[in-house]
Amino acid sequence: MTRSRALPLLGVLILVFSTLTLATPAQTQTPKSGRTLNIMLREDLSQGFAIHESSTISTVFPAAPCFNNLVQFDPAKPIESTDTIVGDLAEKWSWQDNYRNLVFFLRKNVKWHDGKPFSSKDVKFTFDMLREGPDAPAKLRINPRKDWYANVEAVEAPDPNTVVFRLKRAQPSLLSMLASGYTPIYAAHIPPANYRTTCVGTGPFKVKEWRKGEYLDYAKNPDYFIKGRPYLDGLHYVVIVERGTRTAALQAGQLDVAFPGETTKAAAEQLKKAVPKLVVTPVGTAVTDNIIMNSKKPPFDNPKVRLAVSYAIDRKGLIQAVHQGAGVPGAAMAPRPYGVWGMADKDLLALPGYGQPADMKAKAKKLLAESGVAQPIRVEMVTRAIAVYVDMASFVINELKQVGIDATLKQIETAQWHAMATRGDYQIGANLTGLGVDDPDANLYENFACGSPRNYSFYCDEHVTKMIDQQSQELDPKRRLGIVVTIQKKLEEDAARPVLDHRIDYFTFWPHVKGLVPHHNIYNFARMQDVWSDK
Amino acid sequence: MKTYIVQRLLIALLTLLGMSMVIFVLLRLAPGDIVDILFATAGYISPSEKQAIMKELGIDRPYVIQYLDWLHQIVTGDLGKSYRYDLPAWEVIRPLVPVTLELAALSMVFAVLLGLPAGVVSAVRQDTTLDYLLRVFSLAGLAMPSFWLGMVIILGLVTWLAWIPPLTYVSPTKDLKLHAIQFLLPALAVGYRSSALIMRITRSSLLEVMREDYIRTAWAKGQTGRIVIWRHALKNALLPVVTVIGIEFAFLIGGLVVTETVFNLPGVARFLVQAILWRDYPVVQNLVMFTAIVVILSNLIVDMLYGVLDPRVRYGG
Repeated sequence: MTRSRALPLLGVLILVFSTLTLATPAQTQTPKSGRTLNIMLREDLSQGFAIHESSTISTVFPAAPCFNNLVQFDPAKPIESTDTIVGDLAEKWSWQDNYRNLVFFLRKNVKWHDGKPFSSKDVKFTFDMLREGPDAPAKLRINPRKDWYANVEAVEAPDPNTVVFRLKRAQPSLLSMLASGYTPIYAAHIPPANYRTTCVGTGPFKVKEWRKGEYLDYAKNPDYFIKGRPYLDGLHYVVIVERGTRTAALQAGQLDVAFPGETTKAAAEQLKKAVPKLVVTPVGTAVTDNIIMNSKKPPFDNPKVRLAVSYAIDRKGLIQAVHQGAGVPGAAMAPRPYGVWGMADKDLLALPGYGQPADMKAKAKKLLAESGVAQPIRVEMVTRAIAVYVDMASFVINELKQVGIDATLKQIETAQWHAMATRGDYQIGANLTGLGVDDPDANLYENFACGSPRNYSFYCDEHVTKMIDQQSQELDPKRRLGIVVTIQKKLEEDAARPVLDHRIDYFTFWPHVKGLVPHHNIYNFARMQDVWSDK
Repeated sequence: MKTYIVQRLLIALLTLLGMSMVIFVLLRLAPGDIVDILFATAGYISPSEKQAIMKELGIDRPYVIQYLDWLHQIVTGDLGKSYRYDLPAWEVIRPLVPVTLELAALSMVFAVLLGLPAGVVSAVRQDTTLDYLLRVFSLAGLAMPSFWLGMVIILGLVTWLAWIPPLTYVSPTKDLKLHAIQFLLPALAVGYRSSALIMRITRSSLLEVMREDYIRTAWAKGQTGRIVIWRHALKNALLPVVTVIGIEFAFLIGGLVVTETVFNLPGVARFLVQAILWRDYPVVQNLVMFTAIVVILSNLIVDMLYGVLDPRVRYGG
């Protein structure tokens, strides 16, 4: 290479290097140890530390620092996929027998917080309990993710550092589900019920004190298996029920980190205006707004009426009006860059409700006229008595009115919501669905498979179910994506559970908080192992 | 006097028994129960699993049995177990009580310190500019809900000073100064409203007394204004004021919901709302009973004070 050619190249390299250096200052700084972070909680821990008995961020977020998984999504990467999975309690893993066996090689010298050694027995105990195997040594009071492990035939612990998951059929998704924040390993020597009040984990932080309804304090685990981690001396989670007070506390610096999924676009703008140095990161939440329609009850037993509802709702209008732009349109799976299984924009445009609003509403009216159902159609729309639900439902009611569906709103208390939806004791509802992991298996089986208890619309299509099974076993990621896109298209065309948008969170923290990378899924970045404070 | 107190305590027991029935029935009338909430946090529901948990918690038993069981627990001093936290209810409730009692007491101190002198001045200087100013001040206190005032205080502090009081409870034994700062603002926010009420009652009551013959006689005897107002008039005007203070204090024990929430103080009222949302029957029942006991005791103390303030009041057997 001549000198004249080498110089510009060197210049470009220097420029690229400097840009990278400026863009990621946290990565180039040497982490400092010490200090306790103050972190926001919007309510007390719902089920204590019993993550396996809960499906809410209010449990996972504050309980995660106590635990470890077998594997986890790389804490430093916001996008989650099988490519970003890294080891946690497992150092290595290997798919064998054409994805029928998944073998984990565990770390050695890992201790539980009570000093007892961790081994493969604990892993077997956890997953036998979760899948409710015939010889399970313990039973959970509530087991919301049993279906995730329906394909696991056996979990074996041939030696203290090896665990083998034997599957009934190939299922590459299993690894993603094991990386979810909802999949911590419990100690075999602790009754699962104890996790509702206290926590014995292997995680980077040990529970110091939990004052009910007030705060949760963690102290650094000095025996953590990664030397030098965690960096922080402790974590102080403060329960602040009032939203205005929470925001004020963050603004005043009494809190260092916000609660995931908590900061709306308007709140973020207000905070940024008041304290320009705050770090605000827009991230996907893995939560969708969607419409559930009871396909067993009139008028929604008529497919044309269901489809008309989907056509009637202007997705972009909803995102602007209800979320002030803090959402993205998408079908069942989160679109890029928030997920890896979503449909491309051009494909979305061909779906009901995604075209020009006037055209869509005209189509909705035509479908209603063809449906044979007497008009105007009067229905009762149910939603949870929580502001985020009610706002969305109010918008939808207005949209439906414009095509001749007269809906009245009925607010249902949280205590009644799931029971009512599972029983099918409703006509149409405005609903929110959160996904523990951005994976088609976790979503499609749970919400769209025939007979699933969370398939609130009672949608059942044998062909779709076959395709769900097909994608689940597909080993080629590209081919699998193709099947998943086809399924999503079919679900939207059938108005199985029309997805209105994927919510965006404006995750906020102070600039002295380093090493905290919010993911596009609120459930999977709460371990705090690599977080440090530059204050 | 003793007979009267015993009679009142017996009536109080009957009232508490009636209260217990009302609390028990109202809680069960609310739709849903703890098991529904547990499943709501899990995002699904299973009828068979629900039945098992109901059995585990003892809420599958007939209501009469559950009620009698609760009464037995109260009598034996065992308040049962919190469904939500899986801990003895008393362990959950105990730290909340001093916070609320302190906030209520401090609020009442502020209310009396602000309201009583203002009411006296307003009555003595009736229809002067000062009277009008104090009346506007008191009307503003009645018009502004304390939760709104609390939120305005918080927002004002964070906007102008970039500071707010501590949001985690600071024990007085740990840091008295910080503890005082933490309680001062909410107590002022609540006390201002109560002071407005006390001021208006004091003013009207004092004005009425000031027109009495014995006050005119006192003036005619050449007594100083201070003696006439503070010794003769105010003492007789205080009866309705003491009643209001008693009622206000009792109200504050259960009525500080929003103030405790806005200032994030871990008191009875804030916790009670959460417990109701979770249908945590043992916690709710016992917290409401605690509030009822405070209300009854406050009324009893107020009635006792009548005798001290007005020698004409005698307690019969």
